[in-house]
Amino acid sequence: MLSKEEGQRWVEQALAASRADDAMVTLQATEATHLRFARNAPSTSGRQSDHTLTVRSSFGQKSASATVNQLDAATLKEAVERSEQLAKLAPDNPEQMPDLGAQRYAEVAAYDPRLLETGAADLVRGSALAVDSARELGLSAAGYSEASATASWIGNRRGLLGYHRATEASFSETVRTPAFGGSGWAMGVGNAVSDVDYARCSATAIAKAQSSMKPRPLAPGKYVTILEPSCVASLMQMLMFTMNARSADEGRSFFAEPGGKTKLGQRLFPESVTIRSDPAAALAPGSPWSDSGLPQAPRTWIDRGKVETLFCERFWAQKTGREAIPPASNLLMSGGSGSLDDLIARTPRGVLITSLFYIRFVDPRTLLLTGLTRDGVFWIEGGKISHPVTNFRWNESPIRVLQNVDALTSSLRTSPRESAASNVSVPALRVKEFELSSVSDAV
Amino acid sequence: MKRRDLLRGALASGSLGLLEACNRAAQAPSAPVQSSGVQGLGAGGEGADPVFDARVTKLADSALQAAREAGATYADVRIADYRTQAMRTREARVVSVVDDTSRGFGVRVIAQGTWGFAASSLCTEDEVVRVARQAVELAKANSVMQREPVVLAPGERHVAIWSTPVRRDAFSVSLEEKLARLLSINALALKQPGISFVDSQLSFVREHKFFASSEGSRIEQTLSRLNPSFSVTSIDEKKGGFETRTSYTDPRALGYEYVEDYPWEDDVREAASDARAKHSAPSVEPGKRDLILHPTHLWLTIHESIGHSTELDRALGMEANFAGTSFLTPDKLRKFQLGSELVNVVAEKTAPGSLATSGYDDDGQESMSWPLIERGKFVNYQLTRDQAHWIDEPRGYACSYAQSWKDVPFQRMPNVNLLPGKTPLSLAQLIASTDDGILLKGRNSYSIDHQRYNFQFSGQTAWQIKGGRIIGMLKDVAYQASTPQFWAACDAICSEDEYYVGGSFFDGKGQPSQSNAVSHGCAPARFRQIDVLNTARKV
Repeated sequence: MLSKEEGQRWVEQALAASRADDAMVTLQATEATHLRFARNAPSTSGRQSDHTLTVRSSFGQKSASATVNQLDAATLKEAVERSEQLAKLAPDNPEQMPDLGAQRYAEVAAYDPRLLETGAADLVRGSALAVDSARELGLSAAGYSEASATASWIGNRRGLLGYHRATEASFSETVRTPAFGGSGWAMGVGNAVSDVDYARCSATAIAKAQSSMKPRPLAPGKYVTILEPSCVASLMQMLMFTMNARSADEGRSFFAEPGGKTKLGQRLFPESVTIRSDPAAALAPGSPWSDSGLPQAPRTWIDRGKVETLFCERFWAQKTGREAIPPASNLLMSGGSGSLDDLIARTPRGVLITSLFYIRFVDPRTLLLTGLTRDGVFWIEGGKISHPVTNFRWNESPIRVLQNVDALTSSLRTSPRESAASNVSVPALRVKEFELSSVSDAV
Repeated sequence: MKRRDLLRGALASGSLGLLEACNRAAQAPSAPVQSSGVQGLGAGGEGADPVFDARVTKLADSALQAAREAGATYADVRIADYRTQAMRTREARVVSVVDDTSRGFGVRVIAQGTWGFAASSLCTEDEVVRVARQAVELAKANSVMQREPVVLAPGERHVAIWSTPVRRDAFSVSLEEKLARLLSINALALKQPGISFVDSQLSFVREHKFFASSEGSRIEQTLSRLNPSFSVTSIDEKKGGFETRTSYTDPRALGYEYVEDYPWEDDVREAASDARAKHSAPSVEPGKRDLILHPTHLWLTIHESIGHSTELDRALGMEANFAGTSFLTPDKLRKFQLGSELVNVVAEKTAPGSLATSGYDDDGQESMSWPLIERGKFVNYQLTRDQAHWIDEPRGYACSYAQSWKDVPFQRMPNVNLLPGKTPLSLAQLIASTDDGILLKGRNSYSIDHQRYNFQFSGQTAWQIKGGRIIGMLKDVAYQASTPQFWAACDAICSEDEYYVGGSFFDGKGQPSQSNAVSHGCAPARFRQIDVLNTARKV
């Protein structure tokens, strides 16, 4: 891994070679190792190291970027020249903003120096433990373990300079029963391998697989539903993508209102709903700067049910007299109190959904999403899990989910199942209704 | 220096291509055929021995030797450089121009019966040796978890050069020409009544890779593809609604000629008219309907329901933790009736212009064509060399692919095509023979469960058919079905003159996730009495 000084030298060398009016350079160095297993045996594994250096050159209102992955003087020069050639050929962009000046970036503690040294061995140890636990019970385990380290630099000719490094570790596992359609999933994420509790993930996936055997039918319909944190993470991650001020102002977003107005400031959800971001959050930190170099700062996106913030690109912010706000680099949803078990105990009857799959937007006007349940759906009766039920296709909007929230557990670090991420902390939610549209025969 | 020379200079410069000997004359593969058995292809490399870049073969030899000495029983190395260029515009301005190069190498080994893989961007003698040893170390470390050793089906040895046939290399076309094309699309769109916004984009990819294996293969390939599209938006300012329509373009493994030949003006005018019409289109009445699916839409339904369910790794549980499994388990092979007698589906990596087409896969095996579904019956899987023994197949079907030098190759989807009907049948005739139905065009929302049963799709446009005629547009249309029920309900497929190839750059699978570009050919087809739902909601 490049040291802070080595990376900075490459950034400075690229900037020094620039003949453009403005130049911004970003550099990323990555080292990663991973191990996959399935059918209780390793399948593929890999180790990789790479660099990505991007030069964005601007002449007046024109700009273009070139990216290379070789760190040598000739390649750097070539990247600078290629971005300059392309920029000169581009037509003027009337919305182009001058490069940012010096910025103050948050100090983010997300790096564990031990990860690169012991990462690969830790992954084998943790994965072998999970596989052995499943095999001893006659179950089939498939999973994935990864450890990665990334160092990032950003710099330009106007004094902007930033350095940040982070390590990430993750483990996910699906355990299936040989018969009767039992399947359970669990995932752990952190900034150090020691943050990932392999034994606990393994125990959770096994327990869910065993308890989801012989699912009973349940008629499609709308039910009181508890969504486990990973499900909430997926839905809120998708909601956050759409919180764009410009789309709202332009009338092409859920957040738009007729006559060029927006839903900013409207109270759409119950008091219990608050979503924040803060790159330096101890629990689930994020990158200190955005793709455009704007600093990430503590921000409240939904404040006690009210739409408080929409992200806003620099040009649009200037044009409409607002602050430029980048899309958040982490997602922190405030919780209520108690654990998932406590919430189940307080629920007379309803559905418990433990994992969501293949989520896609259906209608951008209502943010209607569709997707499936997977690896464990349960019926709750009298404050207890009564029995497993089949998988379902659902059609629901995260807006309606938040409108219907009536109880929250405490917030905890989790990952969406599909877009795995270490920068999310959310509670489990109970919603007054969730629309299960049709049965899925998948087991 | 002139602008043109600058660009050409950038393209030809040594720092871009580790392998300078690219862009050799392509040998076009044969067209896809309806085949009842497994067919080889006979792609390039015949006749005179190919000449490779000596520095590259030296690095490859060093990697293979280091792997062998460290204890590998099999090794291969891919040394590759990738070039991508992407540009996005909206209305009258260019939003971004990005030009990306990446090169490096990956060494894959079998040691102690277990796969190992390591990759680095630093292409030096010392580094290939270090990385080859690291791959062997990783394999040995992971072998403590191994139950049954990796078994490779017998492979072919190839020494060859192969390139995607292109008429006009997209990277040799000037940026000005490309941006002018996009801005002219936008200008025309904004002239259409009711259109407030338009965005358009072009992206180009060139993969240039050299493969060498411990079995003696040496293969150099250059794969090219491109992905153009636009989308228009119409705003209803009074009621606060908005409607969009995305182009009917599809990504292809072609050169810039696809952009030059595409009927942009027709599609822009039609898209604008469609987006406007959506504001006042009646919302669909849910219930069972006869569906006619246009190829611009049907390709994705084929991809999700048949393409993925016939992947052997899914069927065996190798993807159980992420992309999912398949209801087509090996006990159903050559027994299960997946669809009606009309349904014939072929896998191939040989059709010119299709995205998964290449001369050889990333195991160094020659591309081929084989049937997956014959007269509705499930007859075969997609598989690689290391999977063949699991279902007692004598060989793999050359389905191995890695998205870059730093990713490990594994089984990826070939082009999977629904064969056209043998009896002449046009789309117009099919509509004329449908009493009460809906025609769907273009891809929109798509989702399917982890075993590939329950799916839900919607289109860019939906057209109501009554008494054999299209009587107008519908909105809020989606359909839900289970794969075997859906394909059993197929009662008509148009003939070859309506055949069209759609596809995607972004077929995702694996952990860490990798993208695979894949095409699907088909003709319009009809499906009887499918559940249609209304997706309008009040929030």
